[in-house]
Amino acid sequence: MKIRGDIVRTYRDAHSWVGIIAGLFLFVAFYAGAITMFEQPLQEWASSATPRPAPTPLERMPSLMEKLFSAHPEAARNYSIALPAATPGQGEFSWSAAKPGAHGRGGPTTQVSLSETGELITVQRHPSAVAHFVDELHQQVSLPLPHMVSRYLMGTVALLYAVALISGVIAFLPGLAKNLFAVRLGRNSKKMWLDMHNLLGVFSLPFHLIMALTSVVFAFHEPIFVTQHFLLGGNHASHHTQAGADHGARGQHGGADPTGAHPGRPQAGSSDTAPAAQGGQPNLTQGDASPEPAQPLPLPPQQILAALARQASGFVPDSLNYTQRPGAGLVLSVAGHDPRYSMRGPVSGFAEVNPYTGRVTSTDYLPGHQSTGFSIITTFFALHFGSFGGVAVRWGYVVLGLGGAFLFYTGNRLWVASRQKQERKSGRVEDTRGTRFLACLTSGCALGCVAGISAVFCAVPFLPQGGTYSAVMQLYYAVFCVFVVAAFLLGSQRCDRVLLAGAGILTALVPVSVSLAGHGGWLSPVTQAIGLTSVLVGVFLLVCAFRKVRLPPQGRVSA
Amino acid sequence: MSTQSALLKAEPLSSRNWFPKVSAAVVAGAVLTVGIMGVVGVLCHADGSPRTLSAQFLLWLVPPVWCSLLGACFLFRSGRQAWGVLAVANVLVWGLFFAIRGLAS
Repeated sequence: MKIRGDIVRTYRDAHSWVGIIAGLFLFVAFYAGAITMFEQPLQEWASSATPRPAPTPLERMPSLMEKLFSAHPEAARNYSIALPAATPGQGEFSWSAAKPGAHGRGGPTTQVSLSETGELITVQRHPSAVAHFVDELHQQVSLPLPHMVSRYLMGTVALLYAVALISGVIAFLPGLAKNLFAVRLGRNSKKMWLDMHNLLGVFSLPFHLIMALTSVVFAFHEPIFVTQHFLLGGNHASHHTQAGADHGARGQHGGADPTGAHPGRPQAGSSDTAPAAQGGQPNLTQGDASPEPAQPLPLPPQQILAALARQASGFVPDSLNYTQRPGAGLVLSVAGHDPRYSMRGPVSGFAEVNPYTGRVTSTDYLPGHQSTGFSIITTFFALHFGSFGGVAVRWGYVVLGLGGAFLFYTGNRLWVASRQKQERKSGRVEDTRGTRFLACLTSGCALGCVAGISAVFCAVPFLPQGGTYSAVMQLYYAVFCVFVVAAFLLGSQRCDRVLLAGAGILTALVPVSVSLAGHGGWLSPVTQAIGLTSVLVGVFLLVCAFRKVRLPPQGRVSA
Repeated sequence: MSTQSALLKAEPLSSRNWFPKVSAAVVAGAVLTVGIMGVVGVLCHADGSPRTLSAQFLLWLVPPVWCSLLGACFLFRSGRQAWGVLAVANVLVWGLFFAIRGLAS
């Protein structure tokens, strides 16, 4: 392919600068994003030490609800019945006092079950915040900024990312066919980083395009909808009042987000209280609202499930989520999955059900029962979340996500290496301040992120409640800051190897620490998967740290 | 065509004057994208309420258009050309939008 030289040069410049600005944000987003592929099992695993009452048989659920609601009327506002696959015919009842969408940071939920003698057993549950924290890292690099600010910041990063992809393709297209599989290891560090960067970039390009475009939508859907409403009219008011409540709180993924941009991202720390976390309440104003407080009890869960099975065959409900909404009365959203279809949320699709009749009122987000249009939109979400095709696809996304993180890392290293080469050519013995700064920043931030997450996983068995949000955050940032400071103290020549080794050791220690504590059952598949993955990542980092190649430019010049 | 390519050869593209080009794509490009969304929306009789299918499709129209503009803006010869072209495109698209909406209502 022939592209004019000046165009290629222009785009190469654009690619490097855009990449440098966005690269480190993207590294964190991808590394943490790869881990969120298994957010739910990780959440369960990390919380396995916190007590949870035995599930209640579904046929006794109505009497539980009647007793609870007469003792605690406020519980009727926001409650949820989880239906674990492990215990068919039984459910875990929980309620949350927090306002819908307002229980960010894994607010406490109250789990209730019924004893043999028919008494209420109540347990305040504080699940581990580890999975939730990693999700926040993924969505907004966990910057200590107001939620909206960091959301738009990440939206800007996503735009830069899109420009980097376009410019990268244009800049490297001419030489690509020739150099695609030529990975020139050793000799020349610039060539090595360039070859790896190109190889990775080309083969994961579709994945990256999807991620860039979907992230722009996730970040900017709100202002876009406001503009749409302004231009085209329509009923936007309801959107605003509902969504308004949770924007102050957090919940991009979890917020009551009628656009369904992120319906029901399981809020780690409150995965059982998904009612508040439900997005997309389509067609709620269908008049199932009955007058406010003195309501009849909704249909017993068993009958709801039976009605649902009749109307939506193939849909496996995972939880029934009830929320009292002003003006709409009690609203029931059933989260569930259907292995044959892709899902709107990261782990589930949704059926809107009338809680008094069991009739499905909206199939817009119901896997396998969507209109063609909605299933196309669902595809976009599923391609971002990896919520199609089951566990194999999720592992594929883990690999692609880690590969993406590595791509950004190689991009920054490439920039450093080529600057160093230029500087040596012009006779400088030491790196310029800019080169040194970026070299240290790249190693410090990227490896600090890896090490911070590994440290958090190492510590899970030893932290009270499997890690409260503030404990997890402090630990992560302590390790992260140590790595960044160490990078600048070590200087651009040495920091990469030392920090690679440090991050590698911390990562490889995860299974050791976990099995020492015997956390979550030694032989449970989740523990094994965590152990195996972290050993692989740790060994990879250590191999990189002790690779034979000396970076020739500085080696020779300074000798 | 030949004069154009001669012109381009005389003054090769460079990344030096990126700021006016990029700012044109960010600001004028965003306005243009919204205008395109409006035109498509009016033509499809979208009512702009976020739960409807048409609104969601319009939402997904925005990133590809805006990102393409952001990616293509470096091809403008100068910042002035970037702003000029995008301004003219804006006038056309928004004119079209108000014309169609006026006709439709």
